[in-house]
Amino acid sequence: MSSELRGVPAAPGVATGSPWIHRPLPADGVARRSISAASEMAVGELERLALRLRDEGRLDEAEILEAQAMMAADDELLGRARERQADGEDPVAGVVAAGEEVATVFAAMEDELLAARAADVRDVAGRIARHVAGVDAPRLERRSIVVGTDLAPSVTVELDRALLAGIALEGGSRTSHAAILARALGIPAVVGVTGLVERAAASHELGVDGATGTVVLDPDAAALDRLAHAAADAEATRAADEAFHRMPLATSDAHRVHCFANVGDPADTAAAFAAGAEGIGLFRTEFAFSGRPAPPTEEEQATAYEHVLRSAGDAPVVFRLADIGGDKPLPYLPFPPEPNPFLGVRAIRLAERHPDLFPTQLRAILRASARAGRIVSIMAPMVADAADLAAVRRMVDDAHAAVPDAPMSRVGIMVEIPSAVLLADELAAGVDFMSIGTNDLTQYLLAVDRGNPELAMRQDPAHPAVLRAVARVVDAAATRSGTCDVAVCGEMAGDPAGAMLLVGLGVDELSMEPRAFGAVKRAVAGHTRAELAALARRALGASSADEARALVAGA
Amino acid sequence: MADAEVDVRNPSGLHARPAATFVRAAGGFAADVRVTNLTRDPERSASAKSVLGVMGLGVSRGHRIRISAEGGDAEAAVRTLVDLVDGGIGEELDAG
Repeated sequence: MSSELRGVPAAPGVATGSPWIHRPLPADGVARRSISAASEMAVGELERLALRLRDEGRLDEAEILEAQAMMAADDELLGRARERQADGEDPVAGVVAAGEEVATVFAAMEDELLAARAADVRDVAGRIARHVAGVDAPRLERRSIVVGTDLAPSVTVELDRALLAGIALEGGSRTSHAAILARALGIPAVVGVTGLVERAAASHELGVDGATGTVVLDPDAAALDRLAHAAADAEATRAADEAFHRMPLATSDAHRVHCFANVGDPADTAAAFAAGAEGIGLFRTEFAFSGRPAPPTEEEQATAYEHVLRSAGDAPVVFRLADIGGDKPLPYLPFPPEPNPFLGVRAIRLAERHPDLFPTQLRAILRASARAGRIVSIMAPMVADAADLAAVRRMVDDAHAAVPDAPMSRVGIMVEIPSAVLLADELAAGVDFMSIGTNDLTQYLLAVDRGNPELAMRQDPAHPAVLRAVARVVDAAATRSGTCDVAVCGEMAGDPAGAMLLVGLGVDELSMEPRAFGAVKRAVAGHTRAELAALARRALGASSADEARALVAGA
Repeated sequence: MADAEVDVRNPSGLHARPAATFVRAAGGFAADVRVTNLTRDPERSASAKSVLGVMGLGVSRGHRIRISAEGGDAEAAVRTLVDLVDGGIGEELDAG
């Protein structure tokens, strides 16, 4: 008799295989190898992996592993581990602790590039510790579902991709490394499955349905049949979605909604249009600021933005001003430690501390607009009230005065702070558009930390409170004289059920990752505008996100 | 015993790939070679043959470092490493 565990869907698809458990290391006080021998084995493994990645043309990943191979032989790390062993500490735990010591030094650096290396050091120390413990390199022998609390990058790259059928984790969230990698590789994955490791270890076979977030333990004939159907359904869905990919986003009675793309890298702009985007509804400009030791100059930014505008032709492009915060500090914008970076000095709140940051960025955007000879839209993140908006407006006006040959820009705000929803009437009066960031709005409205896997199920924008917030913003925009468009650029826009509700609520534009176009268009095309409006009205009165989703599923 | 000071001008300083390149070059000499980040902390030095030690100095673009060596090929080691840093450690240097 099979049984099921529920988790968070992380990557779609269905797979079955033997459980392969990625276990934390034993700490039984026994060293099965010397630190020197373990270090040599780790160096050898990392160098072989680096070579393989180089052969596959994955040079960036290869370089990281080559640097890790050097770390694995480094006396800075090994010396600390030997001292701990000499002091009588558990040899396996001692290596891990030595890695933690070195990593802490790195993580504390105000340089983002260097702080990121802390994870590499921990990973290397874990690898050496594994050899000290006498645990061999992970090797799949048959078609497997990899199970663990979490998966480190170096473990994932080591697994034989031909035998890696699926991933199921106790920890993690939709945005953790393993989930992102699984989606990129097309491997079905479920995360946040409570009690999974112990149950999976006692099972002979596992089934994973990445679309529903289900893990089946020892599936019986009936369960295998259901999984086979789910797999066939998944494939049929993919093919059906594909057929809608290049169609307009419209209801069955031809009510059109704009279908825009979210883009975070200038190099992806052309691909978004090739995939059928009508415009860029959210261009995340953080790319211009991250991964560099000094702030980008006005000219560097202008060149990058101009490239984006030229790739877009005449299509609308919305540049969001840099959304930088203490969760991801930059070397040249040091952040004093904050207990809650998402409630801290981030996005436009940085304007006081760094008075040149946004004026420089705004002038760069307008220079790009002037050079490309076309209008741009500028969107301010984390606007809380009319005073914030007025400050943004002043900066935009100053930038226009400094770049007189740029056409007048459209100015809008991200609606993500609950206060902006409550004050939507006043804010709508002062902008050309509002774009609802449903990820942060859900986090702030429901007091649910986006990064906490235990709360992942509660981070659902289909919640009636979020739907009512969207409805309120749409109403505010409609009652304002003149036009104020309402867009949604959060993940909800790219989720078929979410998109149906948003269209029903009267949103003008959905902006999403281009790969979601087909599924969203097919879902919306299945109903008239009036049907979706009636569905949305019922969902507004739902008692929970699950109930709202059930209403959509039954529509 | 030999030593010299040099400004780090390549974009990513002594991090990541440049740190690895620098440490590999230092490893080719018998001399004991040490690096100090004069801009950040002139009191602390690290072995030039340890990638974790060098990265732990937090050398960014615009920082000034001292390279000192002791042993048979000390002079050659310092000269080679200074030239490497001066040349951008395999990264492009901005004009001016």
